[in-house]
Formats: sequence, structure tokens, C-alpha cells
Amino acid sequence: MDDKYSSNVISGGKLGRVEVPNARLTRYIVLLLFTKLFKALGIFESYDLLKVVHIVQFLFILKLGCAIVLLFFQKPFTSGKIVSRRQWIKILKHAVISCIISLLGFFGLTLCGPLRTLLLFEHSDVVVISLLSVLFTNSGGGPSKTRGAAFFIIAVICLLLFDNDDLMAKMAEHPEGHHDSALTHALYTGISFLGVADHKGGVVLLVLALCLKVAFHTHSRKLSVEIGGAKRLYALSNLVSSVVLLPWVIVLSVTTESKVESWSGLILPFAMIVFSVMILDFYVESICTAKLEAPRCARYGSIFLFLSGLLLANFWTHPLTDQLRAMSKPGQQASTEHVLSGGVLVSACFFIMSDSILSSPSKKGQKGTLVGYSPEGIPLYNLMGDALQHSSQSLPRFIKDSLKQILEEYDSRQIFYFLCLNLAFTFVELFYGVWTNSLGLISDGFHMLFDCSALVLGLFAALMTRWKATRIYSYGYGRVEILSGFINGLFLMVIAFFVFVESISRLIDPPNINTVMLAAMSVGGLLVNLVGICAFSHAHSHGTSKSSCSGHEHGHSHHGHAHGEHGHSHGGHGHSHGHGHSQSPGGRGMNANMRGVFLHVLADTLGSVGVIISTVLISQFGWLIADPICSLFIATLIFLSVIPLLKDACEVLLLRIPPEHEKDLNFALEKIQKVEGVLSYRDPHFWRHSANTIAGTIHLQIMSDVVEQRIIQQVTAVLKDAGVNNLTVQVEKEAYFQHMSGLSTGFQEVLAMTQQMESMKYYKDGTCIM
Amino acid sequence: MLPLSIKDDEYKPAKFNLLIKLSGWFRSILSDKTSRNLFFFLCLNLSFAFVELLYGIWSNSLGLISDSFHMFFDCTALLAGLAASVISRWRSNDSFSYGYVRAEVLAGFVNGLFLIFTAFFIFSEGVERALEPPDVHHERLLPVSIAGLLVNLVGIFVFQHGGHGHSHGGDDGHGHSHSLFNGSIGHGHSHGGHGHSHGGHGHSHVDKHGHGHDHGHGHGHGGHGHSHEDSHCHDDHSHTPGKGSSKQILQGVFLHIVADTLGSIGVIISALLMQKYDLMIADPICSMLIALLIGVSVVPLLRESIGILMQRTPPTLDHTLPDCYQRVQQLQGVYNLQEPHFWTLCTDVYIGTLKLLVAPDADSRWILSQTHNIFTQAGVRQLYVQIDVAAM
Repeated sequence: MDDKYSSNVISGGKLGRVEVPNARLTRYIVLLLFTKLFKALGIFESYDLLKVVHIVQFLFILKLGCAIVLLFFQKPFTSGKIVSRRQWIKILKHAVISCIISLLGFFGLTLCGPLRTLLLFEHSDVVVISLLSVLFTNSGGGPSKTRGAAFFIIAVICLLLFDNDDLMAKMAEHPEGHHDSALTHALYTGISFLGVADHKGGVVLLVLALCLKVAFHTHSRKLSVEIGGAKRLYALSNLVSSVVLLPWVIVLSVTTESKVESWSGLILPFAMIVFSVMILDFYVESICTAKLEAPRCARYGSIFLFLSGLLLANFWTHPLTDQLRAMSKPGQQASTEHVLSGGVLVSACFFIMSDSILSSPSKKGQKGTLVGYSPEGIPLYNLMGDALQHSSQSLPRFIKDSLKQILEEYDSRQIFYFLCLNLAFTFVELFYGVWTNSLGLISDGFHMLFDCSALVLGLFAALMTRWKATRIYSYGYGRVEILSGFINGLFLMVIAFFVFVESISRLIDPPNINTVMLAAMSVGGLLVNLVGICAFSHAHSHGTSKSSCSGHEHGHSHHGHAHGEHGHSHGGHGHSHGHGHSQSPGGRGMNANMRGVFLHVLADTLGSVGVIISTVLISQFGWLIADPICSLFIATLIFLSVIPLLKDACEVLLLRIPPEHEKDLNFALEKIQKVEGVLSYRDPHFWRHSANTIAGTIHLQIMSDVVEQRIIQQVTAVLKDAGVNNLTVQVEKEAYFQHMSGLSTGFQEVLAMTQQMESMKYYKDGTCIM
Repeated sequence: MLPLSIKDDEYKPAKFNLLIKLSGWFRSILSDKTSRNLFFFLCLNLSFAFVELLYGIWSNSLGLISDSFHMFFDCTALLAGLAASVISRWRSNDSFSYGYVRAEVLAGFVNGLFLIFTAFFIFSEGVERALEPPDVHHERLLPVSIAGLLVNLVGIFVFQHGGHGHSHGGDDGHGHSHSLFNGSIGHGHSHGGHGHSHGGHGHSHVDKHGHGHDHGHGHGHGGHGHSHEDSHCHDDHSHTPGKGSSKQILQGVFLHIVADTLGSIGVIISALLMQKYDLMIADPICSMLIALLIGVSVVPLLRESIGILMQRTPPTLDHTLPDCYQRVQQLQGVYNLQEPHFWTLCTDVYIGTLKLLVAPDADSRWILSQTHNIFTQAGVRQLYVQIDVAAM
């Protein structure tokens, strides 16, 4: 044993903290697996026992048995230092607190059943501590930890909300049935006072007990060092707590009559529980924590525990196991078993995921990328990009920050307020629908919720647009708003299509609609949406109204001033342009994202108006056909109003030259041609990246005796006047081609490329299919 | 100096001849293998939908009519793919200086979005039905869905075959959908076929990789030579843009067809289950599972196409670029490298711009050509280098 241990240490030290030989570890992992299986078994068994034995008696027997066994093994009195008086007092406190926590835990067990207790209560300290640090401090440990915390919370919520346990209904019928101690009764009434179901209260209780347990473990670590080892403290504390519990047990057993027929039949289960839950688990956990690292041990342990808990929960009420148990315990009432519902399964999955994420060691390395070397030869790292972008944040702070960001700017603030209004309306509708049990209202509420997703998308895009450019997204995230507008537009198209189809099928076979509730709801929706329209159209009046001609003229005359001597011809072109494309909305105030959101709100408003009109028509004249005709009309309207948005977004995404700058750019190119020393240009590419970025690239061939820098300056100035604000100019002298011939591409290819470029301009009309 | 510029607009034919235009479209559709396949499959799908619609109107069955409209909606995906594959071959003009090659990315994106919408609708409907199982008339459902399945199987087969020449078993098409059209994810045997099958070679390769897929459907791959290996998939930067290597279109369309097929299979299974065992819950569970599957399978496509549309630095260049920057900065006379922008134009065509701050006495032509050399090796097709001379 000794040499094994030392070799392990040596190899561990040599290879570092993580890389310990796997074969050696497998043994401990298997040991851990069996221990956890036994522990799960013990907890299931103790749930059965707790139905007959009173909780305090049960705990007393456990502590006593554990203390006796540990006295034999640890010999806390004969070995080690003498325990002083003050330390005895500390041990007493320790024992009392541990008793309270285990009482809470076992009480939770009686409420929730063994599986849920395993899932909630048996998280190791590492997991809970990192969970709490993610939630409440600033130094979480990256997005993965946040994800883990989110999983944990989702799992608890699943257990709270989606776990429909039939048993609880039965329990509620006889609430005073087996609550025979004052403590349990007080807890029970406390929980029922809160108005939650029985086992939901148990869930809350267990979560609290879990936090208490972790705090208690952390604090008792110091004491265990003082006493001389965690094992000795454990033994002493168990002994003391059994002494503490003794008077209570005596009083209980005198005042109430026991439900147990024969204590002798319970010896075996008790021995098993004491062994598996109290002793084996403690020893194996301490060994494994020493051999593996604590996080790893915690991860494997909790995963094994949960899996075995699931396994046992599946087979515990199986007839076969009933038969097996019938041999040892005849008197078994099988009516009150907790069922294995879907919510529990889902939450078990989430718990397993969150445990494995939270217990994984956090990487504390800098993730900067090497960008090069400084002139002195020192390596330079780029920390600006991902490393800072994804720095961890605690949850409340994150929410606060994003709220601040949202409220900072006009667009996102507008969307946010409207989203809140919409959500409030939706929830009122949903609650009212649930209350009055009207399916129409509920489905309408869900429809509204679905509509809100467009708003959420718009809000998110408006936020994301302001992110700084990273190494990966070198132009910044400005495109998000165009993408979001595009997605919103497509979304509306799909909706319009479905409305169209449905109204056609209703035209053929008009259904009977009860119009009472519908009209009221749609009036409410109309009001909400009207608010939205006012809010959004205020900001984007020229984006949607078709009279954007004046806006164009204004913009162009402004350019004319800037250009000076080209003012006249330019102004004329501006006019013709404005008239030709009078319906394409342009200009810098436009924002595809906001347009998308606005169109969505508009579509909703149209829908409400349509519903109101058709309701009136139906109720007044009994024209059932009015409804489908209205929806047909509305679908067409939506469809038509979305098309310009989609067209513009597509043009941007296809890297078209921005239409409103096209003429300017052509003039700028002509001017470049005339700049002194420029022979020609090729490959001029200009495209709009986001609402306020236009990127451009151009190749210039210049005479060999001109200063390149001056030409770059001139060309940049010319193109900047035309609106391009992210420009790259590549200047080539004739010698460039000779240099290119040295490359892998080869001279011929370059020449061919240029020729192709030239020729393409000529025979474009002939062959191209336009 | 005489103005030599040519205005395209003025030379456009004044008379709009529909027939010539149509025939031009038709020819351009048929000239490329991808679009030809798409077109034929679209015709098949449309005819099926029309038959269904007519039969539905004739027999006055609402279910059939709505199903046929659903089919029409599905056809929009194909239509988008077809349009994109034609559009992406248009030449570049003054307005669209890069050409229309991005249409393929856009088509993939649109298809992915449509699929997500569809999956969402199916999912919500499944939840609705799970809460309150309706009476489904399964006597008519079964033949229609079997017919739909057959049509879609043809589609899967055609696209698998036509696009890439690999033929896996048709029924596990979904599991292979990533590996078929998205070679960068990791299956070595999938990529690399683009250039070949579209470049006019037809079926010039054979499944020689030894994956053990059986060719149950009698397509003779027999005597053709095999022209690529597994390691081939990384060095095909050499085909020119606009040649129709429409990875995204195909991926989107393929996913759509697979989704439809899965839907038909789900309907068949649930119909069988309902008939035999009277399990009414089978229908919503099936549809929810299918919706989840569709949603999960679309995510990679969407992520990739959003990355391209947002001018992301190409993921394949992520690791090589810092090396390149370093090498450029080590060139004689280069002080600094500014504003590097690298992005993807369409599949495998990368474009980059950067600015170099150089010493006043540096040989800028040499730096220019060296920089071009460095980035060409990394796979950047078009590079624009602006050389700024540092102030003294």
C-alpha cells in the first residue's frame, strides 16, 4: 500500500495535476460508483422506513449506530490529542447544527420522496459553491459556469413546476395523518400556509437545507483541523448528537405509541442504512477526494448518484422488487409511492449536466492571441477580442448592464418599452384566459407571445449592433440589424402565406365564429399596437411613407455643396435619381431592423383591424364570408409591404453598391481616372456593411514616377466624399506585374485575369441573362 | 482625352421579349447539373401538389387541400434554391461588383430559416395535440403520406447522387446530411466532390472509400475512375467563383427534403401505431421529435451562413491568419499592420483587405508582392493591400 501510494504521488507530481494514470484512478471511480449505488439504495430504504418510524427516532438510531461503529474504527478517545473543554463545546454546536440539517433533509425526504431528495440534496460542496459564486459574485468563471448555473436553476424550476405528482392529492386528503411531532407539524403548516403543494414545499426545504449543509461543511473545516482530522470530528459529532437527541426520543416514545410492530425486523434495514448512507459514503468520499481531485470526485459522485437514483426509482415499485422485499419486510403499504414523472426526468438530466459543468475546473488562462512581435522582439498578445468579450459576469450585474445598454439608445429603448407593453398585455390575456377557461383567449395569448419573438429579435439586434468589432468579426456587428430586418421580413412573409392559405380554406368552408370575446380582445390588441405604431413611425417617418423624394433631394443637394465644381451636373442627376426611384426608401436614417419591427407591428394592427371589421360585419349582417375576405386582403397587404424591406436587405446582403450612393461613386470613379498619374483602376468594389459603414476596395495602376502616398490620399478623399468610409486602395506600378510573375499565380494568369475583367465589361449584355 | 465609358443601360434591348427570356432561363437552368436536378425535382413536387389539390377539390376533402398548400410552401424552398443557383451564375455588373455569388449563401440561409419556422410550427402543433389529442382520420392520411415519402425519397436520392456521387442508403439520409454537404464538419469522405461533379466531369468518382455503404439502388458507378482522396477536401481552393459550387443551396434544399421525408415517415409510423394499437399519443410525440430533429440539423447551416453574411473571418483561416500577420510584420521595412479584414464571399472564396504602415525608405513593391504571396498561400483569393508610408 505504501509503495503504491508513493508511486502514485510521484507520477502525479511528474505529470501535473490533471494527468494522473487512468488505470489507477479507475479503481477509485468504480469504488465511488458502488458507494453511490449503495447510498441511493440506503436512501430509498430509509424513505420506506420513515413511513413507519418517527423521524427523530430514525435519526437517533442512525446517529447512534454510526457513532458505535466509528468508535470501534476511529477510537477517537484513545488516539490523538486530548480534546479540550472549549473544543467540546464547539463539537456540541457542530453536532446540534448537523442534527438540524439532517432533520431538515430527512423531512424533505418524507415530503418529496427519495429520488427528488437525491437530486436536490446530494450535490457536493464544490458544485454549490461555484453555483453561488456565479449567481452572486462577479468572479464566476466564464460563460460555461453561467450555463451550468442556468441549467441548475432550470432543473429546480422543472422540479417545482412541471412535476405533477398524483401522490400529493392523496396526501392532501389526510393532512394530519402521520404528522405526529410538533416539529413536523409546524413545518407542515408553514408550508401549507405558503400555499404551495406539499412536495413543492419539500423541494424548497431541500434547497435551503442544501445551502445550509454547504455552509456548515465549509465552516466545520477549521474545527476538523483543530480536533485532528475530519474522521475523528465525524465520530465525535455523531456521538454527541446521539446524546443530544436521546432526551427527545425518550419523551417521544413515552408520549406517543409507536406504529412499529416489531423492532427486530427493522434491525437489518437500519444496519444497512447506517452502513451505506453514513459510514461507507463518508469513508469512500474522503479517500476519493484525496486520490482524485475534489471537483472530479464530485462530478463522478453526483452523476453516479443521480443515475442510480433514477434506476432505483424505476425499479423500486416494480412487482419483482416488491416480492424481494416481501421476504424481509412483510408489512408494506405500497399505495403512497412517488411516481416517476417526466418533469423529474428532465430535471435529472439538467442536474447531471449542470453538475458536470459546475464541477469542472475553471480555466484561468489568458486567451489572448499572438498578433506578432513588437520592434523590440517582445511578443504581443491581442486581448481585445474574445478574451474581453466573454469575460464572466454575475447574473444581477449582467441584467443591470444590459438594461442600461438598452435604455441608452433611442431605438432599443423604444423596442423595449413596446415589448414590455406587449408582454404585459399577453400575460393579462393568458391569465384571464386560464381563469375563465377560454381556449380562444389562451391560444390568442400564445399567438401574441409568438409575435413578441419578433420584438425580442429586434431588441437583441439593436443591442448587438453596438458591440465592438472583434478579431473574428472585423467589421463589427453592424450587419446584425440588416439580418434581423431580413429575418423579420421573411417571418412576416411566412405568416402572410399561412394566413392566405387558411383564409382560402375558410372561403370554401366558412366556419362559425363566436364573436363575443374576439372583438374585445382585438380592440385591446389594436390599442396596444397603435401605441407601437405611433412610437415607431415617429422615428422612421421617411422610412415608410412613400414620399421619400424630398429626402433624396435634400441629401443630394448636400452632396452637391460638398463637391464644389461638380455641383451642377450632380444636382441634376440627383433629381432624376430621386424621381426614378421615388418609392425606394433610402437615406441614413433608415434602419432595416426598425423597419422590420415596424412592419411586424403594422401587420398585427392590420390583423386587429381586420378582425374588428369582420366581427362587425358578421354580427350586423351575418356575412360569414367577411372574415376570410378580410384575412385575404390583410395577407396581401402584409406581403406587399414586406417586399421593399426584403429587397433592400437582399441587396445589402448580396454586396450591391449602395443604390443611394451609386451616382456619387460613379462620379468619384471618373474623377479618380483624371487624377494625375493614375493610369487606370480595376476591381472597384463598394458595399454597404451596416447602416453607417460603407466599405470599399479598389486597385489603382499608376505611373512609375509618381509618389504613391499622394495618390492614395487623393483617392481616399474623393471616395470619402462619395460616402465610402472604410476604404482600402492598392496601388500598383507597372513593376507589380513583374513581381506577380514570381508568385505561384504566374504572369499569364494575372494578365488573363485583367483581360477578362476588361472584356467582361463589353459583352455583358449579349450573353448574360438578365 | 475622349470618354470611353460604356453605359449598359442604354444598350438594353428596348423590346421585352418574354419568349427569348424564358428560353434563356430554361437553357441556363438546364446547363448546370445542380439547377437541372433542382428543376426536375421542383416539377415533380409541383405536379404532386397539383394532383393533390385537384383531387382534394374534387373529393372536397379539406385535409388534402391544406396538405397540398403545405406542399406548395415546401416548393418555395426548392424555388429559392433554383433561383439562387441561376442567379449566382449571373455575371457581375456595375452595381453588383462581386457578382451574384452570394445568392447561394442567402438561399441557404432562407431555407434554413424556413425550416426553423416549420419546425417551430410543427412543435407547437405537437404540443397542442399532446394536450388534447384530436381525432385523426388515418384512412386517407396513409396513402398520401406514402406518396409524399416516395417523392421525397426520389429527391434525396437525386441530390445525393447528383451533387456528390456518393450513394448512401436512402433511409439514413438524415444522419448523413451534415457529412454530405458540409465537409468541414469532419467526415473525410464527403467533401472534395464539389469541384468534380460540377466542373463537367459528371460522375467521375466512385465510392471507393470503403465505408461499407451498399448500393442497393442499382446505380452503376461501375467503371468510372476514382479521382479524389480523403485528404483532398482541404486543398480545393482552386476552382473559380461562379462555377456553381453551391454548397449552401444544396445543403439547404437537402435538409428541407430530409425534413419532409422525416415528416412523412413520422406520419406513417404514427398512423400505423394509431391503427394497430390505438395509441393516440403517438402522433404528437412523433411530430415533436421530428421538429426537434429538424431544428437541430438546421443549426450548423444557419450558423455558417450567418457567419458569412456578417462578414465573419472565415473559420478555416482562424488559425492561419495570426501566423500570416506575424510573417508580414517581419518583412523588411514594415512597421505595423492595421485594419485587417478577411471575409468569405461564397464557398471557398476569401477576400481580404489590410493596411500596412511601412518605413519611408522601404521598397513598397517588394512588400506588396511578398504580402500577396503570404496570403495567397493561406488561401485568400483576393487581397487588397494599402501601403501607407509612415511620417518621418
